[in-house]
Amino acid sequence: MSTPTMGSETLGHLSDEADPDDAVAKTPVSGKSPLAIAAGRLRRDKVAMACLTIVLFFVLIAIFAGQLASLFNVTTQPGNPSQQLDFINDGMPLKGPPHNGFDPEHPFGIAPKTAKDNLASWLYGARTSMLIATSATVVASIVGVVLGLVAGFVGGAVDKVISFITDLFLTLPFLLMALVIAPILNERFALTPDRYQTMQVVSLIGILAAFGWMGIARLVRGEVLSLREREFILSARVIGMPTSRIMVKELLPNLVAPIVVAVSLMLPAFIAAEAGLAFLGVGITQGESWGQTILLASAYFELYPLYLWEPLLGIVVLVLALNLLGDAIRDAVDPKTRR
Amino acid sequence: MKRTKSLAVVAGFAMVTLAACGGDGGGGNAGGNNPSEFINPESEFGKVADAEGPAPEVEGATTGGTITVAIPGDPGPEDLDPANGWSVLGNSIQQALTHRSLVQFRRDQETGAMELVPDLATDLGRPNEDFTEWTFTIKDVNWENGNPITAEEVKYGVERTFDSETFTSGPGQVYSVSNFDCGEGYTGPQDGDCPGITVDGQDITFKMQGPFPDMDFWSTFMAIGPIPLENSEFPAYGRMPLSSGPYKIKEFRVNESLTLEKNPEWDAASDPARHQYADEWVFKFDQDQEKTDQLLLSDSADAQTTVSNGLGATNVAALRDALGDNFIQQTGQCVSYRTPDYTKITDVNIRKAIAWGYDFENIVLAGGNIPGVTRIPASTIMPPGMSGRKEYFPDGEQFTYDPEKAKALLAEAGEEGYKLTFIYDDSDAEAKAAAEQEKKGYENAGFTVEMIPYQEDAYALWDDAESPINAKLNLRSVNWCSDWPSASTMIPPLVQSGQPYNTSYFSETEVDDRIKEIATLPLEDQAPAWGDLDELIGTKYFPMIPTAYRNDLFGAGSKIGGFTGDAAMSAIYYKDLFVIQ
Repeated sequence: MSTPTMGSETLGHLSDEADPDDAVAKTPVSGKSPLAIAAGRLRRDKVAMACLTIVLFFVLIAIFAGQLASLFNVTTQPGNPSQQLDFINDGMPLKGPPHNGFDPEHPFGIAPKTAKDNLASWLYGARTSMLIATSATVVASIVGVVLGLVAGFVGGAVDKVISFITDLFLTLPFLLMALVIAPILNERFALTPDRYQTMQVVSLIGILAAFGWMGIARLVRGEVLSLREREFILSARVIGMPTSRIMVKELLPNLVAPIVVAVSLMLPAFIAAEAGLAFLGVGITQGESWGQTILLASAYFELYPLYLWEPLLGIVVLVLALNLLGDAIRDAVDPKTRR
Repeated sequence: MKRTKSLAVVAGFAMVTLAACGGDGGGGNAGGNNPSEFINPESEFGKVADAEGPAPEVEGATTGGTITVAIPGDPGPEDLDPANGWSVLGNSIQQALTHRSLVQFRRDQETGAMELVPDLATDLGRPNEDFTEWTFTIKDVNWENGNPITAEEVKYGVERTFDSETFTSGPGQVYSVSNFDCGEGYTGPQDGDCPGITVDGQDITFKMQGPFPDMDFWSTFMAIGPIPLENSEFPAYGRMPLSSGPYKIKEFRVNESLTLEKNPEWDAASDPARHQYADEWVFKFDQDQEKTDQLLLSDSADAQTTVSNGLGATNVAALRDALGDNFIQQTGQCVSYRTPDYTKITDVNIRKAIAWGYDFENIVLAGGNIPGVTRIPASTIMPPGMSGRKEYFPDGEQFTYDPEKAKALLAEAGEEGYKLTFIYDDSDAEAKAAAEQEKKGYENAGFTVEMIPYQEDAYALWDDAESPINAKLNLRSVNWCSDWPSASTMIPPLVQSGQPYNTSYFSETEVDDRIKEIATLPLEDQAPAWGDLDELIGTKYFPMIPTAYRNDLFGAGSKIGGFTGDAAMSAIYYKDLFVIQ
């Protein structure tokens, strides 16, 4: 079924009125929330659905990394280089890629030097990526939304202060701060190596979130500035609703759409940032990480390209899927910008 | 002499084609380019007391150009003070290019063997009959600023090394303090003159506490060299020391680079070994291994005049083909040890269990070295080729990886699951991989392991009694090369009480007394006595686990000529290098 290229759709239908193209157009008008309408649009977007499937696939991998690894009977423990690697030639594995065919014991091959299983590294790397990116996104959005709401709605001195802080954080170079903080943490937690690994993850989430909330805060503040002059807010004030209740019950539901869009675009950015930091050696050094594997594998790009491609493809596919999904969500909730 | 890179099983060397060596017939010298097996070091060096400058020209040598030396995975010396120089890397550079001492090594261009020749002194020193007094005559040569070098300045330079507060881990603390007769408790020029060192015109005489036949070898160190009497306070002097060699320091950036330029005051006629071929030298510390290898492989204009102080394992086969004669495997009297803390791990069975739990092959491979070629399993404190060395095995046979045996020893000690704590560098991929292998090996052998990530100078940490991290450790390591071919430069610095590189904190009066005693023995009895002491320490106390005897691989670009190895320093022989024009 073809749809008009410049139909009524482009004008936007963020209302209870049914979409003229909708198959149920002739049925009696049913009450639908704007989000339900957006979800309906999203469901009909093939690209979005494909991307969503990919993202869900990675989410499942991240959640069940441990189970999957034991299913394939692989671990992240280092192997036996003296038995598994051909060190008298070029140090490549005796079985499996790059010189030999598929090795059922190590479906993704093993790493040079350590003889560590690549599949296990990849699975746990996916978990690290998703865990850090998701947590950082949640933290950044909560901080951004709260500050944006308060700044926009309360206004005055509070707005000035919050806006100043937002601008201040925007001026701090993210990469530089991450490079500075890594050795400090190392010094601080060197004596407790068991906590060091957790602290690396926590601090990385902290750094990513600390430099990721400003966009959402500005967006929310702008939206709130326009919303707070609308009649429904004014009437809520008149009937004496407390400020906190106005924010949560009246303002927030109207902000869901921009927040969802911002979040869906923040997630892939954080995944890429995490891998980038690990590549520079200041991200996760304890445990597995795609960025770290890329760093190690870049030394073997000629000899053993598969070793490099595995984490690289993981990042590219996941980030691309998340980005396309984010674009689709934005289009769905805000049809005016439809391509 | 320490290896700066202590944490890794020492990163940076090689994996090489064994099969491909069949065709190479020749190259019987110590610095051959056929890295198929471990090369044992020479046990003796020749002495040419009447060698005179200028040094014999290197065949085909041309002047001009800049030589860049890339040093992968090693941050280089913290300062350039001659009194502190005790690392293979720092000393091999400074002694060859900037700092003259009384005596030096020269490589015989025909045979490739190292020989002792005079440097600032007119000969190799004139000992009295029982080696308790040595006299040297200083040549008339100048500092880079044109001032003459005097015997007084040599005396001051030697006295300065007695200062145990300032130069805690300098070599003078071992060899000068224990040999020169400066009186009990003498700590340098602030205590006045050392009565055992007398100056008469350009003659300087050292009086020893006992016979010291190795004074000529010890005189190759910068710690037996001149220091100007004025403006030479540490640490300022260590950043920009005055040069007496063919090159002077243009710029020194700690952990980054060292740039040298020609020293016009250097007189070729006074120097039987050094040359002044290149215009400039740039040493780049802490380089990325992979980038250095790729640069050499690229044969670009920059790469052609680059020298690499260590070749990476991944690319060795390719580098060997690409570099040809400028690929060398260098032997030296170098050993790596694991040192369990003698004050904490008091049961010898646990120390033996660690030795049986050390997964040699996997650790060496993960660290980027080749078992059997650049690293071979070790058993004695003294390396192969050292005179007096006795082949013995601390636990009856060669240690191999045997987790069951380790478990049995742990059970015997009643310490199943004994916890080992050591540091590793988690920022260096090879060091980290090696540490993970080691951890796995110990765990399979019934230990529990705690690894503390640490990215700074490990020797400084192990020498720091105050550090809470150091207090937690019970397993350390040390990589040591002999200072000259005698066990007196291996055993005392590593096992004598209170030595900075005695990282096991081993202290037994029996051993300390014996070390003092051996120095007083007749010369011909000393070498076997060291061998016996080595065996006594290994079988009775076993304070340190010798893990590997070492060879190193060096490479240089196609426009570098005169590229050879220095068997005395186990380093690159910088004195002959030139840029082919």
